[in-house]
Amino acid sequence: MTLTRTRAARVGDTASLSTPGTPRQPATPPAPPTTRLAAHHLRLGYGRETVVADLSLDIPDAGFTVIVGPNACGKSTLLKSLARTQAPQAGTVLLDGAPIGRMRSRAVSRQLAMLPQSPTAPDAITVRDLVGRGRFPHQTFLRQWSRDDETAVHAALSATNITALADRDMSELSGGQRQRAWIAMVLAQQTELVLLDEPTTFLDIAHQHDVLELCSRLHADGRTLVAVLHDLNQAARYATHLVVMKAGAIVAQGDPSTVLTAELVQEVFGLACVIIDDPETGTPLVVPKATPGSRPARSGFPPSA
Amino acid sequence: MSIVTLRAGSWLSVPVRPRSVAVAVSMLFGLLVTAVLSLTLGRLGLAPSEVIPALAGAATGRDAIVFDTLRGPRLAVGIAAGAAFGVAGTLFQTVTRNPLGSPDIIGLSAGASAGAAAFGLLWTGILPLPLGALVGAGVAMALVFLGTGRGFSSPSRMLLVGIGVSAMALAFVQFVIARVGREQATVLAAYLNGSLASRSWDHATTIWISLAVLLPCALALSRRLQLTEMGDEQADTLGAQSAAARILAVLVGMGLATAAVSVVGPVAFIALTAPQIARRLSRSPGPNTVLSALTGAALLALADLLVQQLPGDVQLPVGVLTACLGGIYLGYLLISHWKKGTLA
Repeated sequence: MTLTRTRAARVGDTASLSTPGTPRQPATPPAPPTTRLAAHHLRLGYGRETVVADLSLDIPDAGFTVIVGPNACGKSTLLKSLARTQAPQAGTVLLDGAPIGRMRSRAVSRQLAMLPQSPTAPDAITVRDLVGRGRFPHQTFLRQWSRDDETAVHAALSATNITALADRDMSELSGGQRQRAWIAMVLAQQTELVLLDEPTTFLDIAHQHDVLELCSRLHADGRTLVAVLHDLNQAARYATHLVVMKAGAIVAQGDPSTVLTAELVQEVFGLACVIIDDPETGTPLVVPKATPGSRPARSGFPPSA
Repeated sequence: MSIVTLRAGSWLSVPVRPRSVAVAVSMLFGLLVTAVLSLTLGRLGLAPSEVIPALAGAATGRDAIVFDTLRGPRLAVGIAAGAAFGVAGTLFQTVTRNPLGSPDIIGLSAGASAGAAAFGLLWTGILPLPLGALVGAGVAMALVFLGTGRGFSSPSRMLLVGIGVSAMALAFVQFVIARVGREQATVLAAYLNGSLASRSWDHATTIWISLAVLLPCALALSRRLQLTEMGDEQADTLGAQSAAARILAVLVGMGLATAAVSVVGPVAFIALTAPQIARRLSRSPGPNTVLSALTGAALLALADLLVQQLPGDVQLPVGVLTACLGGIYLGYLLISHWKKGTLA
């Protein structure tokens, strides 16, 4: 049994993910996935500082795209520009072929939802009210609360399994429950595209798992998900399309099992590791190499008293 | 608290909180009682049976004078100015996401006073007083906008710069007092306390028209402002365009506060306290626009009733009373924020 993967698939080196010698290449390549959301030659930054120089990316429809990369590589900035909350310094984001910056705000909000990294819950707001705020793009001054709104909130609460908490105050909830409520708010927006900026941050491991399972279910329901994640192993497990960024550029993208290699992790994160198969899912699992001498080597025998 | 939705066909559906409605009805009732007492108490008071004829314009003799020149305009101005302060306060507090961020504190009232002083006494004849106050308020808000370095998007900077601008505006007012003659200075000093004494129906018309125009604007904005409570990024992804909503809210708030300041002077702390009282009573998030208006109106009318009926003929300006009571509340607010570590 081989434990390490050495298949190289680097977008920078090869135009497509299929290197010439790769076996099991289908005779006729499948039709290229259509894409509703795409970035063309984006330059992103804050003031004079440029975080992303020239980046293009197609988000595969109905996929679960996960963006990973070291801190400050520009992944959150990229997500913000995709969600139109940060205007690019150059380049365009296209939604259904139209430049997103020139579309009407609410029209975009009916197509695309984003959960920022740390949204603030207003004081004294119940879960139901918070989720209801996701309906704003569908409402008008006179029609502030239609039956559609009612149905959407109900569905969002039950999809995230927090119907029982609907009348509780947000401040009474645990971190994991609160994150579910925020995700429910995004769902109530009823958009096909859902962007999530580090949805697992500040959660313990069980709640991280819980949130990602929820995301995976939402993806299975037909939504296009884009998430920024920190944990490579979680990214590899849930992503259908993995985008690896370093210093404002995309280093590799594609199916996690082909993209995630020990060389790539070494190059992007500067971490020496081996990649094994996740015993549960068969997806790549990054195991950092032990630094020799940093801790006593374990023998297979019980330690002597 | 559950929400009931009012529906009419498919074109109208508005969610209503029963608790907010109950609070609004009680507030309205309180306001009504205060109004009747304002008209009837004291030596010059109308007989209770004369209140309705007076309102219908059928009062005669002494009652007509009391209603038309003394208490009627005073009450009408007080109610509308209180409402305007209340709405301005809730707009600013929502924009700054801070209960301290009211027009009193971020320099708006002081700027309006400075404008009123400048155009009313120093450069007379250029602008009518309300417009002069608007210019002063506009200059103050422009200074705050520029002084923060990032417009109205940083609540804590807005507060800090506002306190500085407020001090500058008050210094300018002192300068005006020093320049003008003693009699004018006395009038100005009285105005700067904020007073409802000897208001005319002209004052009432000014403030009621301002309120009629700007209150609907505030209502239309309040849902977008409500979303900015969740942070700009979240509000923007929901299509609320937070930066534009904030600027509009500041403009509407400025209009309301200035209109109120130009008719009653910078009555302290109504704008600071009314939205907070409304929010605590309704236990509902968001700007609570209507309730803040009612609370502001009731507070100012009640404060004015108290100063009118104080024993002895002191004739205290209403602004002195609200400053005393509001000062206590401000102290409480500062201490509780300091303890929570959320002082801006």
